[in-house]
Amino acid sequence: MALAVLPTVPDLSVRSASTRLAVEFPELSPRSIVLVVRTCREDLRGSPADALPELVERLARQRLRVSLP
Amino acid sequence: MGYVDVSGVRHTLPDGRVLLDDVSFRIGEGARAALVGENGAGKTTLLRIIAGDLVPEAGAVARTGGLGVMRQFIGSVRDDTNVQRFLVDLSPPAVSEAWDAVEAAELALMEIDDERAQMAYAHALAHWGDVGGYDAEVTWDTVCVAALGVPYERCKYRELSTLSGGEQKRLALEALLRGPDQVLLLDEPDNYLDVPGKRWLEERLLETRKTVLFVSHDRELLARVADRVVTVEGGTAWVHGGGFVSYHAARTARHERLAELRRRWDEEHQRLIDLVRTLQQQAANSPDMANRYHAMQTRLAKFEAAGPPPERPPEQKVAMRLRGGRTGVRAVMAEQLELTGLMKPFDLEVWYGDRVAVLGANGAGKSHFLRLLAGQHVNHTGEGRLGARVVPGFFAQTHAHPEWQDRTPVDLLWHGEPGRPGVDRGRAMAALRRYGLADQGDQMFRTLSGGQQARFQILLLELSGATLLLLDEPTDNLDVLSAEALEEALGAFDGTVLAVTHDRWFARSFDRFLVFGADGQVYESAEPVFDETRVQRAR
Repeated sequence: MALAVLPTVPDLSVRSASTRLAVEFPELSPRSIVLVVRTCREDLRGSPADALPELVERLARQRLRVSLP
Repeated sequence: MGYVDVSGVRHTLPDGRVLLDDVSFRIGEGARAALVGENGAGKTTLLRIIAGDLVPEAGAVARTGGLGVMRQFIGSVRDDTNVQRFLVDLSPPAVSEAWDAVEAAELALMEIDDERAQMAYAHALAHWGDVGGYDAEVTWDTVCVAALGVPYERCKYRELSTLSGGEQKRLALEALLRGPDQVLLLDEPDNYLDVPGKRWLEERLLETRKTVLFVSHDRELLARVADRVVTVEGGTAWVHGGGFVSYHAARTARHERLAELRRRWDEEHQRLIDLVRTLQQQAANSPDMANRYHAMQTRLAKFEAAGPPPERPPEQKVAMRLRGGRTGVRAVMAEQLELTGLMKPFDLEVWYGDRVAVLGANGAGKSHFLRLLAGQHVNHTGEGRLGARVVPGFFAQTHAHPEWQDRTPVDLLWHGEPGRPGVDRGRAMAALRRYGLADQGDQMFRTLSGGQQARFQILLLELSGATLLLLDEPTDNLDVLSAEALEEALGAFDGTVLAVTHDRWFARSFDRFLVFGADGQVYESAEPVFDETRVQRAR
């Protein structure tokens, strides 16, 4: 039995952030961008729903930026 | 629902005087208690102790239900506080702390946009939601629409100093009455409110189920709203369980009872002293009486150790002597006078000896009209003139005298100013004594209570030799006794009086009524008019 599974249900904050970040970071694969965004979404669970899209996108951008060589 | 329980509270002033001692009372759930007392008796200090701003030297304050506090200075905020900050500060501590954390996180994010700062910001926002911050913002929107007529988003960055005193008070009252706190401490909530505002306040206080302890000097408000009266006097406090209508009789009866108890104690004390003396003489001649003499000495010592009952509180004595002097028959003339953007042009003639109450809505230009007559610069068209030998004396609404703040009343009287000669210390102290300010003669002006500052301003009017008194809300901070003394002094004043007032009781003592209407019309009325609505302006 899996103890923790990343959410697979499409989430607006994940989808829109992934699309924009894929354009911003063409050197990274879309799959890894989605993975980072989903992880951020998980880390930020409990944040106010209205603020979530912005928070997720900012955090994901930050993590993607530092992952680049 | 909440309550306040004050038990054995004692507070000593920095100069060593005991201001409050053995103060005990309980304001039960849903009660509407008025806190009354002479200016400087300690009402605001007691409120500050209940609010937790001051720690009592002895005793304790217990309360439940969350505490909302409206402080006395609201209405005269002149710093750069904006509406948003003001509403945050009026919120429960958890909400205001969460707000501060969000602001701090936002600032940190602006400095360093790293993962740690972003997570801290996200946590601050989550905490903001958890403590009910988003609900608070919805309430603030309702509050702003109700108090100012505009949504929160449109006025949140507006500085409070751009609002009138009445608007500041209304904003605070709306926030507290609609907020979650179940116990409200309101320090002079009716100050700066016009009469419709006061009536609104009365209705809201009557319908609220919150527990309310409020300070007010407005007798109509007290009579309508208070279901019990806590009196601070003689260094302690006592509670009258009925309304304000029966309060004066209850207070008189209490004073008489205290005087009677004290008289009986003095009589018994004297009787015991006489007995001890008699037995002392008898014991010198008869050794058998020695035991009785020693027993009586012990009894006297125990009696004295128990101490006398509290003294009857001294009555405050205020004697204002506004003299004035004969002027031309026409004291004030206005021809097609219009204060720019505030009203439509109007004509007015005020005769020597007239007592004119200037009534009307907040924001209609009443205070500006008085300022213009006082010789201050106010943009206007048309003409406003004073008659022969008319010397105006102006009493300012907000006591805005920054130049006085760090000076003492004796110093201000000693130096005088243009139109008011200085007086020596002896005369200054004599004058201050008549106004019940002898103990405050060497205190900084800023440390005086609102009522003491108001009385001092009236004293300056007396010394200035004014023959036209221009009074802007003179009774707002005066206790009932001082307001009655002012009314008496105005009755004896040989000159003309124009007073802006929202005090219904005070206004009824005038004989002409000039009304500044919400529609810009200025008209005379045979009777006081109190129901002019607030002036609506684009914001």
